[in-house]
Amino acid sequence: MLDRLREPWTDKRAGLLLGALACSVLAVIVFMLVFIAIKAWPSFAHNGLSWFSSKGVVDQQLDAMVNSGANPSSAEYQLGAWPLIYATLLTTCFATIFGLIFSLLSAIFIVEFAPLWIRRVIVPVVRLLAAVPSVIYGLIGILVLAPFIGNSVISADQKSSVQFVIPLSGTSLGVAIAVLTVMITPIMIAITVDGLHSIPRSWKEGALALGVNRWRAMWTVTVRAARPAIIAGAVLATARALGEAIMISMVAGSKGFSPNPLDGLLFFFEPVRTLAATVVEDAESINAPAMQASLYAMAFVLLIGAFFLSLGSWIAKQPLKKYGTRS
Amino acid sequence: MIEPREQAAPPAPGSSEPANGTVPPPIRRIALDRQPTVALPPSQDAVAIANTSDRSLAAARRPARGVAGPERMRIEGLNVYYGNNHVVKNVSLPIRQGEVLALIGPSGCGKTTLLRTLNRLTELTSSARRDGMITLDGSDIDSLEVTEHRRRVSMVFQQPNPFPMSVFDNVAYALREQGAKRPKKKVLEPYVIEALQRAGLYDEVSSNLDHPALRLSGGQQQRLCIARALAARPEVLLMDEPCSALDPKSTNVIEELIVELRKDLAIVIVTHNLQQAYRVGDHVAFMYLGDLVEYGQTDALFDNPKAARTRDYIGGAFG
Repeated sequence: MLDRLREPWTDKRAGLLLGALACSVLAVIVFMLVFIAIKAWPSFAHNGLSWFSSKGVVDQQLDAMVNSGANPSSAEYQLGAWPLIYATLLTTCFATIFGLIFSLLSAIFIVEFAPLWIRRVIVPVVRLLAAVPSVIYGLIGILVLAPFIGNSVISADQKSSVQFVIPLSGTSLGVAIAVLTVMITPIMIAITVDGLHSIPRSWKEGALALGVNRWRAMWTVTVRAARPAIIAGAVLATARALGEAIMISMVAGSKGFSPNPLDGLLFFFEPVRTLAATVVEDAESINAPAMQASLYAMAFVLLIGAFFLSLGSWIAKQPLKKYGTRS
Repeated sequence: MIEPREQAAPPAPGSSEPANGTVPPPIRRIALDRQPTVALPPSQDAVAIANTSDRSLAAARRPARGVAGPERMRIEGLNVYYGNNHVVKNVSLPIRQGEVLALIGPSGCGKTTLLRTLNRLTELTSSARRDGMITLDGSDIDSLEVTEHRRRVSMVFQQPNPFPMSVFDNVAYALREQGAKRPKKKVLEPYVIEALQRAGLYDEVSSNLDHPALRLSGGQQQRLCIARALAARPEVLLMDEPCSALDPKSTNVIEELIVELRKDLAIVIVTHNLQQAYRVGDHVAFMYLGDLVEYGQTDALFDNPKAARTRDYIGGAFG
């Protein structure tokens, strides 16, 4: 057997072996999806579509599950997960939008305007930042940013104005968005810089030779042509933001609360908890069957969310292919 | 002769003395304001010549010219360095309206660098230095805003480099970028069509201006790049081996175009191809290792080269 493997591989054998490996990855994904769906089914079955709605206080519902027995009643499966979904959407969308703007402008600076020595310093630093474990960002968020917001930014009046609804301590939606943005921006910058570098120089020179300045040439030709790479970077970063659990559970306040945009600036100071953070925090109570089904249901929603994210990026790239931009 | 171009008087070819310095340089407005200054090329002739394999007909393309046009650009004692590399050595040349200046020479002799210096594109290379004087209509090109200068002195590159957009958007690019606010597509359309016609491409793309530019053939792409440059109404057109990536038929079409465009523009063309220099050039400058070895009327330089190096180079290529 081993002797046969030592012979030079034919293309056929290489194809079969590598194909089997690739298919096994596919099989694992399908298995995971089916497994999670089956485990999550009781939660969806008992709640129906109202699983996605807001009914009652989600934290009380989760507490009730912890205390439920081995054969929970239908009432104990009761869950309206909207506050958690809402928090996930808010943190992910805001962080992605801020990250996209910031990373695009930084990448343009790095590629087009930065002097060589700045570029030589900044690119490795950005790549290093992209690899920093998220818990470190969470630590800075909870030790530095949240106390600062809680003690210096939110006034006592503001705290007392909502004290019967939700206590404001500093750990909040705003801190979560800020830290999440800082966390995902480096990877977006790195991918966007690579994307901008891959655009042929001749296009830029063609634009410059027509009497367009470097900023406009960058914006109208290079960035335009690099849109698929920018989308790819944004999707990767969004997926990271969507699944970020530890850091968010540290800095977001860990309350199943829906911040109200009508509160004005206070909106950003109100605590939230995302789906992923809920899964992490309640994993210790997983022995209760109702809780187990609920957490699997949240995991399933996250998985489907990630799937639609990929699909969305694929759809977004389709019209860009027509004129032959790089993908 | 060098009238402000808003008056839209196409300079009569072959007329008159250089009026340098006596007339202020033309004031440029947005290109949309101006009337076209060049008659459409007789496209049937271009096709006829493109279709023929008779080289003598193609070679006869350049009509003999009596009087040189007015001087638009002048290079005085130009030196260009890349780091410690002295690439262009003390070159002085005039560039005249209404004629084609062909730069020839072996690879690495500095002709492309010279061309890029005229457009101030060498400034993009951080190691490049230049001294000596280049003037456009009598004023130092460094005194102009670089974007303004590049609008007046445009460039076509060796490799066709259409942007990844539609044919229309490619040609409209410079027009859109020059206006303060983006003009509507309807407003731009006549200018785009006219530029495509001047570049001899319109008949081939008229059915679908929304066609992706990168799906055109190489020769079409290069003519699109010429149309893109012409749409901005440059006064000097620099061409860096515009035919080196093309087949003979496309080359023929573009050479015909160059001779046609010469009426209204000063054209500088870099070429490896001596026959091409002979066919399209009114004046030829031979460069060797950064030196300008010889400059003169095309016929004089080819038939009767004065310098030994020119004779060797031309003889080697022709003989």
